[in-house]
Amino acid sequence: MMQEPQEVVEETVTIEEDPGTPSSHVSVVTSDDGTTRRTETKVTKMVKTVTTRTVRQVPLGPDGLPLPEGSSPLGSYTDSIDRRYMKNGGDRFITPHATSTLTRSYNNSYNDSYGETPESQYVRHYGLHDGYADLTDNYGSLSRGVNLRPPRYPYLPNSYRPENSYTLPVRKDDYGHVAQPQVPMGSSTVDVNRSQPERFQAEPYGLEDDRRSLGPEEEEPYELEPDYSTANRRTLQGANRGRTHREPLRDMPRVRGYPEEAIEAELIDERHPYIHGIYSAPLAQPERGSMASLDRTGGRRSPSIDSIRKDPRWRDPDLPEVIAMLGHPIDPVKSNAAAYLQHLCYENDKIKKDVRQLKGIPVLVGLLDHPKSEVHRKACGALRNISYGKDNDNKVAIKICDGIPALVRLLRKTNDMEVRELITGTLWNLSSYEPLKMVIINHGLQTLTNEVVIPHSGWEHEPNEDSKPRDAEWTTVFKNTSGCLRNVSSDGAEARRRLRECEGLVDALLHALQSAVGKKDMDNKSVENCVCIMRNLSYHVHKEVPGAERFQDPSALQAPGSAGPQRKKKDDAGCFGGKKAKEDWFNQGRKNGENDKNYDTLDLPKRSEPSKGFELLYQPEVVRLYLSLLTESQNYNTLEAAAGALQNLSAGQWTWSNYIRATVRKEKGLPILVELLRSDSDKVVRAVSIALRNLSIDRRNKDLIGSYAMRDLVSNLPSGQQRPAKNLEEDTVVAILNTIHEIVTDSSENARSLAQAQAIEKLVAINKTSQSARETKAASHVLQTVWSYKELRNALTKDGWNKSHFQATMTTTPKATKNGKPGYDDTTLPLMEKSQDGYSTIDQREKDCKYKAVDGSVDQTEREPLKNDTNRKHYIRSNRPAVSLVDACDVKPQPVDSWV
Amino acid sequence: MSFMPGQPLTAVVQRIQIEKLRHGENLILGFSIGGGIDQDPGQNPFSDDKTDKGIYVTRITPRGPADVAGLRMGDKIMQVNGWDMTMVTHDRARKRLTKKNEDVVRLLVTRRSLEEAVKQSMGSYPRQ
Repeated sequence: MMQEPQEVVEETVTIEEDPGTPSSHVSVVTSDDGTTRRTETKVTKMVKTVTTRTVRQVPLGPDGLPLPEGSSPLGSYTDSIDRRYMKNGGDRFITPHATSTLTRSYNNSYNDSYGETPESQYVRHYGLHDGYADLTDNYGSLSRGVNLRPPRYPYLPNSYRPENSYTLPVRKDDYGHVAQPQVPMGSSTVDVNRSQPERFQAEPYGLEDDRRSLGPEEEEPYELEPDYSTANRRTLQGANRGRTHREPLRDMPRVRGYPEEAIEAELIDERHPYIHGIYSAPLAQPERGSMASLDRTGGRRSPSIDSIRKDPRWRDPDLPEVIAMLGHPIDPVKSNAAAYLQHLCYENDKIKKDVRQLKGIPVLVGLLDHPKSEVHRKACGALRNISYGKDNDNKVAIKICDGIPALVRLLRKTNDMEVRELITGTLWNLSSYEPLKMVIINHGLQTLTNEVVIPHSGWEHEPNEDSKPRDAEWTTVFKNTSGCLRNVSSDGAEARRRLRECEGLVDALLHALQSAVGKKDMDNKSVENCVCIMRNLSYHVHKEVPGAERFQDPSALQAPGSAGPQRKKKDDAGCFGGKKAKEDWFNQGRKNGENDKNYDTLDLPKRSEPSKGFELLYQPEVVRLYLSLLTESQNYNTLEAAAGALQNLSAGQWTWSNYIRATVRKEKGLPILVELLRSDSDKVVRAVSIALRNLSIDRRNKDLIGSYAMRDLVSNLPSGQQRPAKNLEEDTVVAILNTIHEIVTDSSENARSLAQAQAIEKLVAINKTSQSARETKAASHVLQTVWSYKELRNALTKDGWNKSHFQATMTTTPKATKNGKPGYDDTTLPLMEKSQDGYSTIDQREKDCKYKAVDGSVDQTEREPLKNDTNRKHYIRSNRPAVSLVDACDVKPQPVDSWV
Repeated sequence: MSFMPGQPLTAVVQRIQIEKLRHGENLILGFSIGGGIDQDPGQNPFSDDKTDKGIYVTRITPRGPADVAGLRMGDKIMQVNGWDMTMVTHDRARKRLTKKNEDVVRLLVTRRSLEEAVKQSMGSYPRQ
């Protein structure tokens, strides 16, 4: 066994995402995000708007009646629908064009004639939809745009209409009616639509809003889309009219933030009434036509609203009803029910539990395979919210009904970004529960890698010579997926093996990280996730990687050819030697058994072919990557993970860890690490400290670290009276003590610098007074080692120390009983086992000496940076807070202990 | 030091007066305390009775004010400037000890060695 200086596996349990984001469901979505309050608001609004809503199809939503409204709806609309189109290609759009043309003419010609649509028509229309009012409330966002819509109806797919109508839970007849199709609906709609409002409303506002809310990518589809095309044209025509109005309107949605389309939608609804009142006045004069229509709309609404309000027949469906609606034969009912469920579940653990107990989860999972995107999207949204939270039973319930394979299946099938976000978000949530990790690996690993990680990382299997390497895209989908993989990567050796051997995964992660470093964009969550995965996969590489045994014996380096390919990229070619001459020298050295020379000059074996897959994990090139992250990132988790990766890679005694240790030095990584000893983050200090310890297995590193890191290490130690600024946890203090021990072992020189760093006083204090048995033990080991150097005793005695200070204290305290003997099962304290390590043998020392002699020159260059480092002013630390030094007992939660 | 409810409590106590050391803005006594009625008494390594929720001295800064005054690790603090410390929360005890406007604290402490010494002397006396 090696002294396994504590490699790190990381467990991230937290990752569940805020469901709040499931933005785009135009219709229902609103509710998702919405807190209760919002919902209520909606209701009110809804009532007012009711007429509109009924008519409109939820999905289409965009053309909102009133100009102002229309705009935002478009945005949301686009969001959900456009994406689909984007990815699916142009086929669908053909139809739209035709439509658009039609519509336009429609608009033009009909404006006049229809503008005067008789009230009766409206009334009729409304009458039909009364039933829906209740539903509408919940879905508030859905209905807005009705007025504008009309023209489209004829062209719209059947599926859309039903949605609106179906929202109503209560009336079955209504469903039938609506469901039925277009004919009846269409005609009525058309009539309604004709009311001129179309033109005015849609045009100016619609465009503005859409563009704003949509990313540039989405614009295209927008135009192509039939519905949108209509909108656009209208806009063009009516652009001038709208402008005045626009400003005020726009502001509203902005305030809330575009990402949340749902919210936008809500706002719009709310505004409607007000907007009309306020803005119509100014417009009225210039644009008579448009105004007229607006007015009409307003007029229409109020009656219907009133009637709805007063109608006692409508109510919100209760939970069993909603779940029952998931099985309704009509698709829009299903999707609306699912969306409503998502909304209900948002931040409501009780409802989640109820849904589970009412057997709603299997039904939702079943809907994932539904061919209609509206349906599986909404089902997915509901599952995501349900899977979020501490209640693991919900996660298990999803797993039991084969939800994980179903999600993965859908991920393969869909190109809709939003759906992909929802799927990966759900998987991320699920991955936080231990027993599900392997299930996710079994069903989803390769799919997640192929469908998300690789494409978003910018990595390409067969890089095209002409094309520039692509950068990673930090999309939500990528963030979710990397978070999910981060979680599952902590599930033990088998999980690590699966991830390492997953084709393309390591390559893509590495590429993504390199692109992050290249763009200096290293603080985001995706980067953190990627580094954590890399760190976890680096854990125990020297034991777990296939063929690792070939590299095990440090004194028998592999011939360059067999050592494995190392050069990964052309642009890295210059990084490491590999000249012919050096290689010869290298081989010679090998024959002579002077391997250490090689480490020092870093003559890495030349690769015959680029390394790939898990080999990349431990190629010396990664050192530069991790060091860049350590230098640049401000994210503590990323820093910890990067240091942890170096820690893992520099552990163990195989060839590659030798290379890694030397490469860190060569890349001037030691000063970077030492600098981080001053970090405010406990876990960063700990990871860095252990990394330094592993690195000091390399003799030269040990010398350098001993010379230049000692002060920073010592300053992190607690001392009785002068409390260090940082309130480091016991683990961290122990890690630092162990690192110090490693550094002073076999090096009286380092022991001397330890004494010069005023460490003895602190060590004695810890040894005597610490309530932590582990701290005491670790400090005692250091002291014993220091005392073992006879050449130092003189100086130590002069400073007032005597032998008793360096002996293990068997004080009166109970902790003393734990002192001393191994058998103490603690990975951070391999001190006793340490002696077994090959590196501390005499043999090793001899080698070290030789190698030192050989490399005098290298020595100096390397010291430079370190020197600079030590020249820096030492940090003045504020006093340690009074509470919370750690007390003795290890296992149980540590009792409070306060300095006074 | 533990006592049974209803039984008279006798404790051998020692008075210790500690002068606080000014350290920057802080006044320092140079020891640390553990225990309190809000803490898990089972983890107190110093108490004989593992249900004792009293305040104990857990660490002493060598050559610090408490060390100089004769306070010892493992001492149980009974009173601070007259305030009872046997039934207080950890934080309350800490606050009593760290009052900024008091330069001196007078502790009433008890420790095993004291009790044993007294027991022996008392034990020998009656026997006669």
